[in-house]
Parts: sequence; structure tokens; C-alpha cells
Amino acid sequence: MNPLKNLTRVGPSDQNILLLRAATVRYGRLTALRDITLSIPCGSSTAVLGRNGAGKSTLLRAVLGWQPLTSGEIRIGDAHPQHARPRLAYVPQRHAIDWDFPITVRGVVEQGRYPSLGLFQRMGRADHEQVAGALEELGISDLASRQIRMLSGGQQQRAFLARALAQGGDIFLLDEPFAGLDLFAMEELEHILRNWEAQGRTVLAAVHDPAIARRCFTRGVLLDTGLVADGPIADVLSPANIDRAYRREHCAHDERARPAGAQK
Amino acid sequence: MSPHDLLIAPFSYEFMRRGLLSAMLLGVSGGLLGCVLVLRRLALMGDALSHSLLPGIAAAWLLFGTSTVALFLGGLIAGLLTALGSALLSRLTRIKEDAAFGSLFIVFFGAGVALTSKLPTRLNLADFLFGNVLGVSAADLWLAAAVSGGTAALFAVFYRSILLETFDPVFHRATGGRGGLVHMGFLTLTVLNLVAAMQTMGIVLALGLFLLPAVSAYLWCDRFASMLLLSIGLALLGSAFGILLSFHAGLASGASIVLCLGLIFLVSALFSPRYGAVRSLWRGGVR
Repeated sequence: MNPLKNLTRVGPSDQNILLLRAATVRYGRLTALRDITLSIPCGSSTAVLGRNGAGKSTLLRAVLGWQPLTSGEIRIGDAHPQHARPRLAYVPQRHAIDWDFPITVRGVVEQGRYPSLGLFQRMGRADHEQVAGALEELGISDLASRQIRMLSGGQQQRAFLARALAQGGDIFLLDEPFAGLDLFAMEELEHILRNWEAQGRTVLAAVHDPAIARRCFTRGVLLDTGLVADGPIADVLSPANIDRAYRREHCAHDERARPAGAQK
Repeated sequence: MSPHDLLIAPFSYEFMRRGLLSAMLLGVSGGLLGCVLVLRRLALMGDALSHSLLPGIAAAWLLFGTSTVALFLGGLIAGLLTALGSALLSRLTRIKEDAAFGSLFIVFFGAGVALTSKLPTRLNLADFLFGNVLGVSAADLWLAAAVSGGTAALFAVFYRSILLETFDPVFHRATGGRGGLVHMGFLTLTVLNLVAAMQTMGIVLALGLFLLPAVSAYLWCDRFASMLLLSIGLALLGSAFGILLSFHAGLASGASIVLCLGLIFLVSALFSPRYGAVRSLWRGGVR
């Protein structure tokens, strides 16, 4: 039943791996996500765009099954997000990390195996191999015993991407992966994401900056609590759409005047 | 004075053996908890939490006398009320968590001091606050053993959840971890340990047995597991020498344990080869 089984090494396809149907999230009176209906093709790399508070993080959390929907539904393959958790790999924002924490790069990557270990189960040989494989793929094997502060920004980001790889999922959710990176580290990450796409990995990333999204992703989802547009990144980031999604920052008072959840 | 007189002879007294055992038991659990307190930047909150136990303990004393269990429960209730109360206040009002905690704990502490002034005169507020190794009863020892064993067992079983929740709570939640549960369990454990350490260390100084070994270990270790182990080791060392110091110099036990641990901390902060002050000054000077 897994639609991904035969498609792992193929590019974007018509198969949809992720479906949102009229997904809505409200916190009390505040609507964080309004009536989102969209589908993410298997093996695509998608940037979730919008101004601050447009619902980017809420969307990611909802897909993770961590933020319950007020109404609507989300399907991953055929399953509810909470049942599809082993397929999801997550990379949090880097500003939440304490880089002085007494932990090595290998220690971070090993955390990727924790969710699939039972309470009294130790890391087995397969787990260690998966960790070694993730370190190898991201080229940080020789940094494995370093404390995480002793890395460059790009290497730090690679350590957390390796942890996501070690989780063994096939859908990668990245929360603002470019935030706080220097120019060199950004190019590194761009290169990695392009590679992942070529390998047919599905990536969904919250991205603040439209210019970066244009460079690194093939598809886009533009949010303004409702869905402004989704599809190929160049179409999504048309001047008209950007104006609609980002303009409100400068005139916050016409909220009610605008149509909700308008399609492109 | 021979080494025997210095190190062994003091423990021919029953109260010294009890004091040592109690301090070392709580050193094990305190050393573990301290690491999480330090890494999650909850050090000051722990301090506030310890002060807030006083009214619970004093009220229990007024109502039930010297029963160890009653004191324990009183302190536990007061501590949890403070923790829960400030969590609620920060969620329901515009007050931030630190201000909520700061305000609640000082009110609790004030109430505690007021209550103790109503207690039978034989009782000394200073013993509550700073500990008295002479007063460690067999029941206190059992309590310390239970709390310490329970804490160590929980750390062993939930090691990975604790590491994830401490290092990266967002990832922990995103991968299905019960972050809130781990956090609440951790606060409860802290209160339990503070109450158990009250007799030897006093509620004001008890936190020293938790924090000081952990910060010292933090200055030496690059791995979470080794930080936990070193922290336990330093807590044991500090409490053994602290108890001896209190015997020979006639000092309050809590204070002398904190002083010994403080010395370890000072040496670590200055001379740790990677993260010490001397090294960063030295490198700054060369550059």
C-alpha cells in the first residue's frame, strides 16, 4: 500500500505523498491556518512561504501530527500523520539549539534512532550502521567525535540533517533551515537539498525568504493563513501573489476585506 | 593529627555516619538532576523552588509534629503549588514565567517564615534553612534512599527521553515524545529531592548539592553521559569532605558541603583545560 515503495529513485511524479483537505487550525479566536487544500507530489522539494505568522510553522506541526487540526484532514500516503510518524523526519530551527551542550556530532545523529527504540532497547548494530551511513552521506564522519560548537555553521546544519536521515523516514520537514546561516553555509545547504531532490526525497521546508526559495526549491506553497498559491515555484512567486501574501505586513487593518483561502 | 583521626575517626559517631550516608545518597540524585537544571537554564528556578517549600514544611510541623512523612508531603505540596501556580499565571496573564515564579516563591517563603515564628520555641528556623546533620533520623535516611534510588532508576530508564527533552524539546515533541510529561516529572523529582535533602543541607543550601557538581562537570565534559557521571562523582566527593569539614571545624553541615563543592566549582571554572576562564584569558592575551 505504500505508494513510495517503487518510486524512491524517481523524480517528482503524479503520486501525491501528502494531502491536506480543508485543513484549519485555530488557537482560541486566532486562526493560524485557514481551509488549506493542497497536495504535495512524491519526491518534490517544496518551500512553504509567507510572512511571519502566516502559518508556515503551524502547517509543519500539523503535518507532524503534533498540532491537532480544528477541522479538515491531513493524509500521509494513506495514513493519518500520527500513524505515519516513522516516515517523517524533522529538522527544527537552529536558534533553539544550545551549541554549548555537552554532546558530540555522533551523539546528535544517534538521536535520530531514539524514536524507534523501545524503552529498554539499546542501540543495535543496524542502528549504528544507519548512524554511520548518515554521517558518511553528509560528509561529517571525521567530525563525529567533535563537540557541536566546534563546527562551522554549515557543518552544524549537516549534523542535524544527518540526524533526520538517521530517522529513516522518506519525508523531510525542515523548519526555516536557512535562518541564521552564513552565505557559505547557505550554498552548502542549497547543494544538499538539490541532491536530495535528485535522489527523489520529499522535502517540505518553511522558508522565509522568497529569493532563497526560488533558488533551492522546485515547488512552492504560499500562505497567508489561507492558501494564496501552490505549484511550481516560479508561478507561486509571481509579483501579484507576493504582493497579496506579504503586503499585509504594511497595512494590517484590511484583514476582513480580503477573501479567505483564495486560490491562484 | 593522623590521617585516621582526620578521615575515619569522625565516623565512629552514629550521627556522622547518618549524615554522610544521607548527603551521599542525595549527592547521587542531586548530581543527576543538577545536570538537567544547568543545561535547561533552570538553575535560578530551582533556587526559587527550594525557598517555596518552607511554608509547606512549617505547616506540616504545626499540624502533625515531627513526622518525616508529613514534612515531606507538606514540602512537596508547597513546591508543586508554586511550580503549577506560576505555570498557570504565565499562561493566563501577561506575566512571564520568571516573574510569576519570582513573585510566587517570595510570597510562599514569607508565609513560611511567618509560620515558623509561630512554631514551638525549641525549633530553630536556621535548621530548616541551613540544615543540621545532627538531626538526621533513621526515617530521614530511608526517605533519602528511596528518593535517590527512584531518581537514579528514572534517569536510567528514561535516559534518552531526558536527553532529547533537555537538548532539543522541539525535536522530542516532533518525534512523538511526551515532552510535557518529562518536564513535569522532572519538576516533581526536583521538589522530592529538595525536601529529602532538607535535614542535612537545609532548604536554602540543598540546591548547592544539585547545582555545583553539575556546573563543575559541565566545564569538563563533552558528552551528556559523562557529565552525569562526573557530576555524581563530584557530588559524592564534595559531600564526604563537607561532612568531615563540618565535624572538624564545627560548621553547619550544609554550609560546609556547599563550601567544598564551591571549591571544586571554582577550580573547574578557572582551570578547565577547554572551557576554563584562565584558558580563554590566555588565548585572548596571545591574540
